[in-house]
Amino acid sequence: MRRRVRGPVVAAALAAAAALCALANVLAYGDIPAGVVADVLAGERSGQQAQIMWTLRFPQAATALLVGAALGVAGLVLQLVLRNPLAAPELTGVNPGAVLGLLLALVLGLTDAASAAGALTAALVGGLAGGALTWLLAREHDSAQLVVYGLLCSALLTGLTTMLLAYQPSRFGNALRWLVGSVEGRTWDHLAVAGPWIAVALGCVWLGSAALGVLGAGDDHAAALGLPAARARGVALAGAVALAAGAVALAGAVAFVGLVVPHLARAAAGSDPRFGVPAAAALGAAAVTGADALAQLGSRWLAAEVDGQRLGLPTGVVTAVLGAAALVLVVRRGGRGAAMERTAT
Amino acid sequence: MADETLVGADGRRTDAGVPVRDSNRSPSPVTAGAHGPGGPREPVFEVADVAFGYAGRPVLDGVDLTIRAGETVALVGTNGCGKSTLLRLLAGLLSPDRGAIELQGRPLRRLSRREIARRVAVLHQSLPPVPGLTVRQLVRQSAYPHRGPFGMLVQGESAEIDAALDAAGVTGLADRVLDTLSGGERQRVRVALAIAQRTPVLLLDEPTAHLDVRHQLEVLTLVRRLRAERDLTVVYVLHELDHAARFTDRIVALADGRVAADGPPTDVITPDLLARVFGVSGRVVHDDLHGTPRCLLDEPL
Repeated sequence: MRRRVRGPVVAAALAAAAALCALANVLAYGDIPAGVVADVLAGERSGQQAQIMWTLRFPQAATALLVGAALGVAGLVLQLVLRNPLAAPELTGVNPGAVLGLLLALVLGLTDAASAAGALTAALVGGLAGGALTWLLAREHDSAQLVVYGLLCSALLTGLTTMLLAYQPSRFGNALRWLVGSVEGRTWDHLAVAGPWIAVALGCVWLGSAALGVLGAGDDHAAALGLPAARARGVALAGAVALAAGAVALAGAVAFVGLVVPHLARAAAGSDPRFGVPAAAALGAAAVTGADALAQLGSRWLAAEVDGQRLGLPTGVVTAVLGAAALVLVVRRGGRGAAMERTAT
Repeated sequence: MADETLVGADGRRTDAGVPVRDSNRSPSPVTAGAHGPGGPREPVFEVADVAFGYAGRPVLDGVDLTIRAGETVALVGTNGCGKSTLLRLLAGLLSPDRGAIELQGRPLRRLSRREIARRVAVLHQSLPPVPGLTVRQLVRQSAYPHRGPFGMLVQGESAEIDAALDAAGVTGLADRVLDTLSGGERQRVRVALAIAQRTPVLLLDEPTAHLDVRHQLEVLTLVRRLRAERDLTVVYVLHELDHAARFTDRIVALADGRVAADGPPTDVITPDLLARVFGVSGRVVHDDLHGTPRCLLDEPL
């Protein structure tokens, strides 16, 4: 019985952690005390502070929650269906493709940065193209080579993005926010488009999570159980691209969340995607809101200690630094496990 | 839902491929088989003039084969003779380039993957490693063909899973992580998965590959016992002719893309077959204990 309750309990605990991180995110600016935030949430306060909360802080925290959930689940789906622990939106051409698509649309005047629907469409097309490029190159090969091709595609797309930036630097005053990833300045207008998109995609992925589990144990296995593997993988990859592109459209290429969170989710909730998907969503949400809170704290500290000017650390800087450290731990632990397995057989 | 009702292995209507369990008629290894008291039983597979090739290289070319309910058949032949390909064709995992395959009287290509999976369980040679997947989680996936992707979202009946784990003798491993099991344990777990799928037909692709002799016999004995208990139709791909002779009641030898020999082990396994199909010289002796032929292989020809 212990096993049967473990998954839901873990998912609930992780959801609570995400909520706490979101609260920390709101409080990290330090200009509005917790009591006031509670009053604003309860609807018992209006005025300037309440307005700051509703128009800036809450949408930003909600963006961080959604972006994190989308990236965490996108990474989990990619790792499951490609059966590669290093598959992630940023290593399969999806995130770099989405960034390039977005910037290309901006430079061609197809959309402007303020248009949420335009940004989402451009990121989606770019993400699909990036993922498809990797897939076309790697489909004949095994999943280890897929990561190599994914890295090559990602490098190529990032290179093209950099060329674009060098060509017309003035067009991208805040290009850094897309390249590194930041949730700063996102409003309800952005969320109104990308929010439902991500929420629906998350729901669809969860509905398919049992099939994901069957697919995760191999194509032959899945086909023998009645799941057409190639078609199912296509649908799952489309879901992952939809999630990653939605995240990029909101906050740019926030790094390492899609790579590290799935490992943490598996460690916490086990290998059954029915629990793994909610766990990855909650952990991803906690990771990005928490990282953004740390980014705010870091910005305040830098402003106070080093430079009197206000500066904003992008969220993606924190996820990259902490994510890289976490990945080192994951890889070292995985390496030990594989070595033990080799000696056992 | 009419297509979910099958004609059971003994001719009675059954629900979704669950073999009829009848205590008065529990088949024993001796009485069970393709020839029940009422003569030959109905065909499970009818393969007519099937050809198949990979990227222009023909593997099978004109295979005709009928496998009846209750039979245990071994497909044998040299590497690359197409025996695994034929097994995959029977499982509907490949489609023939030419010819037709019928499963229980219905064209295989008209059945959906899940409809096939409710009738036929397949044991492939290996299972890719899935980090953290437990035995119970794997065996639970056997419900997929019956319940579909959305039905699987809620926890299903675990009594069936427990029964399958018990039948395959792996109850003690239920909460172990698959990657930590030995080859023999893993193979028994996969038999449990196939049993839990509740199909009347079981296809096994070299189930003894990479196992030591003890575990080879363990798996073959387990399948033989389950075959008798559940009145299954079993098709093996086997490399070891002695195993084929002892654990099946019919051997189908493939060579040059066709059926080169087909019949009971004592008829099929001859020095001529060893030379013609396997390209080795050898002698065939009689095993008095099991009443089966045994090969003593001498030289490659």
